[in-house]
Amino acid sequence: MSDAELATPFRQRAGGAIKDTFLQEALTIATTKFIGLRRDAFASFPEGEALRDQARAIKEATLQELDRHLETLIGNVERLGGHVHYAATHAEARSIIVDIARRTGARMAVKSKSMATEEIHLNEALEAAGITPVETDLGEYIIQLAHERPSHIIAPAIHKTKGQVAELFSRELKRHAPPDPEALTRIARGELREKFLQADLGITGANFAVADTGTVVLVTNEGNGRMVTSLPRVHVAVMGVEKVVPSFTDLMVFLAILAKSATGQKLSVYTSMVQGPRRGGELEGPEEFHLVLLDGGRIAQIGGPLREALSCLRCGACLNVCPVYRQIGGHAYGYTYPGPIGILLTAMLEGTPAVKDLAHASSLCGACVEACPVRIDIPRMLIDLRREVDEKRIAPWPERVAFKLLATLLQRPRLYRFAARAGRALQRPFAREGRISRLPLFFGEWTRTRDLPPVASRTFQECWASEKDLAT
Amino acid sequence: MTTRAEFLGRIREQVRRSPRRFQADSARRPPHPAAEAETIRRELHERWPETLEAFRREFEGVAGVFHRVASIDMVPGVVSRIAHEREARELVSWHSTALGADLAPALGARGLAVHQMPAEEPHSVAERERLRAIAARADLGLTGVDLAIAETGTLVLVSGAGRPRSTSLLPPCHIAVFDRTALVDSLRQVGVFLEAWHGDGRPPAAGGAVNFITGPSRTADIELTLTRGVHGPKEVHAIFVEQPIRG
Repeated sequence: MSDAELATPFRQRAGGAIKDTFLQEALTIATTKFIGLRRDAFASFPEGEALRDQARAIKEATLQELDRHLETLIGNVERLGGHVHYAATHAEARSIIVDIARRTGARMAVKSKSMATEEIHLNEALEAAGITPVETDLGEYIIQLAHERPSHIIAPAIHKTKGQVAELFSRELKRHAPPDPEALTRIARGELREKFLQADLGITGANFAVADTGTVVLVTNEGNGRMVTSLPRVHVAVMGVEKVVPSFTDLMVFLAILAKSATGQKLSVYTSMVQGPRRGGELEGPEEFHLVLLDGGRIAQIGGPLREALSCLRCGACLNVCPVYRQIGGHAYGYTYPGPIGILLTAMLEGTPAVKDLAHASSLCGACVEACPVRIDIPRMLIDLRREVDEKRIAPWPERVAFKLLATLLQRPRLYRFAARAGRALQRPFAREGRISRLPLFFGEWTRTRDLPPVASRTFQECWASEKDLAT
Repeated sequence: MTTRAEFLGRIREQVRRSPRRFQADSARRPPHPAAEAETIRRELHERWPETLEAFRREFEGVAGVFHRVASIDMVPGVVSRIAHEREARELVSWHSTALGADLAPALGARGLAVHQMPAEEPHSVAERERLRAIAARADLGLTGVDLAIAETGTLVLVSGAGRPRSTSLLPPCHIAVFDRTALVDSLRQVGVFLEAWHGDGRPPAAGGAVNFITGPSRTADIELTLTRGVHGPKEVHAIFVEQPIRG
């Protein structure tokens, strides 16, 4: 999403999404399908629940000694002849990668799907340096041609129809493209095959990195991850520091639940484990391997309130089940990571002020915790964020005043009883059929999108008091 | 520029002062993975037919095509039938030492243009380019298999000399040949083998890539319509050989 779009308030972005009938239909179909696939995958996998608990424990255990595991990883990557870089900020990550591209004389970079490179806005930086970035995941390729951003973590072009993709291909690739997914996929295969064979630089993220052996693990369905790590001369992998796992034994626990959570597959088609540059005797594989370790706000949360969000596997399961995501889709969130986990990651990477509205874009229903393969307690952290938004005075003042008043009221029984009586008198002109649907002045903000239940003709306290009188 | 010392220092500082959410342990690694891997192989020696049946079911479930032959000399017949049905002529293959058998003469006799990848690293950039161009235009890619996982219908291929990564990736049709020695039941068992290969055991090859392949390349990125062969092969065949290939 562009900065101009971000300047639009969240409420308007969400409102626009809700009025977009195609988006609404696409979201319902996609999220419902993913929910069913995930449910079926776990229903026929009785050990799944225990593995989820174990995966959660492994993430926490790794975090408890993250420095040690990263040192092991770095040592192994270097032993294998790879180079490790340290990026404290998004800008630093961009400049490290642009430098590698320049030094190796790369003119084109093929990329496999990576949320980390989306997060650091790498493509813009590469373009500015005269290097052409080519997204090779079909969904990412589509949105790159359309100059958009992904709307779902694992299905980035979920918001586009085949007709729109056909028009886009016809216009951008200057060739006839029929609105048929099979034909469109074939066109993309042809276009991108050329790029894989020509590119000097391959850029990937990392689903996991195994500390023990210095192995970067990529999970894809299309095979682009394999292309990008096998064909170009240079491979750069960008990973958040939290992606390290101690051993292959740990890795297997995650592989057993990751694809099931994301797409309902037992495993994704390709799990590629690459270890440094190509070895003696090999025909392919990069001559140079670089691992960029990314902080970008993660390190501060090791001991911070968002620590648990560092366990996220980026499977997208929490998006599909979220009643808010299902209504507004990914773009309305405005940042790289959408959905419930996206709010937490945005707070982590962009700072709390970025989520002053988003922190409220959740019904706190807990569906995300149920769906999360590592059971991240997203609602708890959202509540903490709301508190922080209030306490640090990031929230707009009417909101803060309203909550302050409410807190005062709830702490003083007499005042509360008086307010109830006053409310009952004042609501008379507005209550219709047991609902208050429209309030005057700025109170109208509340009733703009929802009804307010009126104060009861007899409040609970009044009932309670008279019951007590009867009993004695 | 952030240095390694600064970067790790900040992490160490955070780790030191942050409370643990709960008592947690990472997965327990097998203390002697090579020995444990050997035990898994021995157990499977008896009951491989069940494991094979489970593999077949899962492999077909991910749109793989399963074949079964009695001995390795029947493999060229299956390969040439697959080629014939697809009007395919060019075949790129792992080196015979990596396959465990030299199938090139028999395949050639059946009218296929066979390009066997060399067992040594190419001596020049030009030679490397030439070999890659062959893989890129081939119709069929013929490889061995290091592990076949019954739980998921997955083929595990280790790269190395004579085992290019591209053979199972660039051609539109991948044909993999394996026998009972490759069969394992579960992902957990694969973990033991991976630990062994990197630890006290001997890996099948010394390359830098281990690939898990679970069916043909696929995408559902346009309106969730499942489409095969987006970047990798559109078809994956697994030929099971009853008589162990290496005798």
